[in-house]
Amino acid sequence: MNARPIERVVIAGGGIVAWSAAAALKRKLPRLAVTVLASEPPADALAERIPATLPSILGFHADLGLRDEDTIVRARSALRLGTEFVAWNHGLAPYVHAYAPHGRPLGTTSFHLHWVRLARDGAPPPFDAFSPAAALARAGRLAPPGAEPEGLEHGLVLDLPLHSAMMRAYALHLGATARETGLADVRLRADGFVGSLRLDDGSELGGDLFVDATGPAALLRSRLDPAFEDWSPWLPCDRVLLGESPAQPEPPLLDRAEALPAGWRWRSGGVERTAHGLAYASGALSDEAAARLLAEGGARAAGAPVALRQGRRPRPWLRNCVAIGDAAVAVEPLEWTGLHLAHSAIDRLVAMMPDRDCAAVELAEYNRQSEAEANRVRDFLALHYLASARPEPFWRDAAAARPPASLAHTLSLFRERGRLPFHEEETFSRDSWLAVLLGQGVIPRRVDPLALSVPREEAVRRIEDLGASLAAAGPGLATHGEYLTHLTRQVRR
Amino acid sequence: MSDEARVNVIIVGGGTAGWMTAAALARLLPRRCAVHLVESEAIGIVGVGEATLPHLRAFNERLGIDEAEFMAATRATFKLGIEFRNWGRVGDSYIHPFGTFGRGQGEVDFHHYWVRMRQEGHAVADLQAYSMGVALARLDRFQPPDGDPRSIASTYGYAYQFDATLFAPYLRRLAEGWGARRTEGRIVEVERDGASGDIRAVVLESGERIEGDLFVDCSGFVSLLLGRTLGEPFEDWSHWLPCDRAVAMPCRTETPLSPYTSAIAMDAGWRWRIPLQHRTGNGYVYASRFISDEEARAALVAAVEGEPLAEPRLLRFTAGRRRRSWVGNCIAVGLASGFLEPLESTSIYLVQAAITGLVELFPERRISAVERDEFNRLIDLEYGRIRDFLILHYHATSRDDSPFWDYVRTMAVPETLSEKIELFRRRGRVVKYREGVFLDASWIAVYVGQGILPRGFDPRAATPPSEAVLRGMAALGEEIAASARAMPGHAAHVAGYCPMAPAA
Repeated sequence: MNARPIERVVIAGGGIVAWSAAAALKRKLPRLAVTVLASEPPADALAERIPATLPSILGFHADLGLRDEDTIVRARSALRLGTEFVAWNHGLAPYVHAYAPHGRPLGTTSFHLHWVRLARDGAPPPFDAFSPAAALARAGRLAPPGAEPEGLEHGLVLDLPLHSAMMRAYALHLGATARETGLADVRLRADGFVGSLRLDDGSELGGDLFVDATGPAALLRSRLDPAFEDWSPWLPCDRVLLGESPAQPEPPLLDRAEALPAGWRWRSGGVERTAHGLAYASGALSDEAAARLLAEGGARAAGAPVALRQGRRPRPWLRNCVAIGDAAVAVEPLEWTGLHLAHSAIDRLVAMMPDRDCAAVELAEYNRQSEAEANRVRDFLALHYLASARPEPFWRDAAAARPPASLAHTLSLFRERGRLPFHEEETFSRDSWLAVLLGQGVIPRRVDPLALSVPREEAVRRIEDLGASLAAAGPGLATHGEYLTHLTRQVRR
Repeated sequence: MSDEARVNVIIVGGGTAGWMTAAALARLLPRRCAVHLVESEAIGIVGVGEATLPHLRAFNERLGIDEAEFMAATRATFKLGIEFRNWGRVGDSYIHPFGTFGRGQGEVDFHHYWVRMRQEGHAVADLQAYSMGVALARLDRFQPPDGDPRSIASTYGYAYQFDATLFAPYLRRLAEGWGARRTEGRIVEVERDGASGDIRAVVLESGERIEGDLFVDCSGFVSLLLGRTLGEPFEDWSHWLPCDRAVAMPCRTETPLSPYTSAIAMDAGWRWRIPLQHRTGNGYVYASRFISDEEARAALVAAVEGEPLAEPRLLRFTAGRRRRSWVGNCIAVGLASGFLEPLESTSIYLVQAAITGLVELFPERRISAVERDEFNRLIDLEYGRIRDFLILHYHATSRDDSPFWDYVRTMAVPETLSEKIELFRRRGRVVKYREGVFLDASWIAVYVGQGILPRGFDPRAATPPSEAVLRGMAALGEEIAASARAMPGHAAHVAGYCPMAPAA
């Protein structure tokens, strides 16, 4: 029986993911000795390089005791309300996926069922026209704090170097220590646990638990087993090229994700710069052509293209080594899940900290939750490809792929009648799924019977009223720039 | 127009399952289906499930049922939880409350702090003392919970104990008012489509033939459509849940009206005690492998506290379920789909879960496979989780005073359960579900109540100084005790709110 508590945690990796893990561990479990083996994150660690984040980042920060004045004002973040998807379905107008409800339920039936009813035999305004958040975002306006439309959430567009520096400073302030030297070798004990890390300066770094935040190479975790689950059948992009351009005076509240003949191109507006990028399939697009497309989008490249192998480690936590961030799950930036998945893994790690023996039954529960979460993120990203409609071979192949079983079930139930099956560990809300499904033109075959119990005229009237009241919103509210200036003044005061 | 033809729904069997289904469909999908229920007065209803779970309140609310009227009509009382006596050891007693321990807020559950204080050697009260629901139950008091989440009176929930033989007639009145048809008669034949195997019609003794698009099997244990006609195999769980009979006998209530159900462990099973307004329901659920019917009957008669109001009645069953609940155009609801003993009052809950699934996934006349699959997936989840939770009650014991308890204490349990137990034993961790019938607090109540105490606790609970934790716990205990004492008695609340009509 080995019930000794974990005392020393070593985190390998020197980016946002590693420092966030260090801060969270020191904040929640202050008795731990936390050492970060800090090195520059590798170029292919996308969770470190994509500035757009999901709304969950605010909860993560609040949990750590960080305030908006640190994470937004001092670390120069911009706000984002969602993403505008352009040309994913050739025949349809761009759609917005914002983080907020669409419409209001009619009685006990969800709004979207009624929208589907109208869409089945007419042409109602697009689904996102009923999202107050999407309307605000398109108008470039923000409601003052406390007066936002119900259920609205926003994410951040980070200034990555400042954010990383802030997390590092905060973790050090909480008592984490940094070792600034490279990793030479991983030493395993006879029982297969990680014993220590040999460092470039010749010293040894021992610990009870090793957190691998070294990016896709997973320098520690991959030493225990190389297993990897490949998602390329559903997520066909295998290369990413990043770029940037000067910041706009009023950073847009929506990121733009535009489908191109062999991949897609994005743009996220930050305070200091605008981030760009291109995800593509190397078999269908050369690096030179990719660079041209990025330039046409108004950006200059930031470094060489990076290879991307999308998928996950089936057991992110094995023995006393747990992979987080890109070391555990590697996905393209679509829907901005990289840092979210890292934060979620950190929360799970804190909540499930085992004893030094890292009992298999406890790790199994951690891995079960990680798997369920990662698979549903995979499903949500794969949905964008499967529900695409474009003529190029890249897209035709993507749309024709056989979906993973869980997504196949989601799609067939939705296509039949507009219902979404319930899943545990779901990252994206029902409204997010609806935004993409309906935005990309997946219209259910029939109308849900519960929706039909509301008389048609009443449904039409309610939907029209709602549309009119939303169209009137916008002017009079603050622009993004005004909002950030206001926040800054509050902090200075 | 997208509004297609109505679906003809034939419900086979009245009783609780049948009339709950008829009422829900007639009320919630009036334009989509025509509801026709066939029942025979010659066939009795089982009427188990006199005690319910809080979920039933949502069902009633959705149908627009007035609570006080419903309670008066079914002679109902309030239920704050279930008392388990003699389960972990003879002489033990704990309550599984519908609510939390502690305030149920904060990221680390209260019981982790409780475990830590005990391990540090501090004299802390039993975990039960930190549940508002338990405190109220022990004092026989009741008041509806407070809606303000800051109030300690918001930390409990409630369900009902009622006369199941009155619930079906009550729902029948409502369902018929909402347009459901009823035909009296015994079914002698079920006609199937030669090509698809679907059910086409049922034929009554009178010769009447009733056709339908969708058949809901509420025929009880017989499982006339799903089991007998379609031959869906039965998955037998009796090696984990060996009780296969029950003998039931109501009696006059001679104690204060308790706002909880009791489940008292016996030599070869357990005995229920459910106080209603007009009587107390009693029954002994036992394993016939370990005790004869005569012995069980004698043990029940000896244990019943008040004057008996009827002769003991015997029921037979097998724990388990039909592999799928929805096959072809037939959906089984209630006992026709499976049986789990009423230890945690799940019978009516399972009926409700099936009805909710059917309403949400209501098909067209031509049924699509994906709806069936989704329905069966949801029901699988429900059965699996309840099954493990029930097995836990038998397995988590140190009783070795009878062959029955020796068997259940030492039997192999499903891996899904042994892992859950091991996680709790190690660090007080409860496998979390976002949705499901029994959430964290239920599992914690039974684990701790039956002697599975964690060896470790969430390391985050180690952070605050001991003195602060102890002060907080003492204050909480006092607040709970004082709030409970300030609430009205259960009997007084029932008498003022929902008294039954005087017996005619």
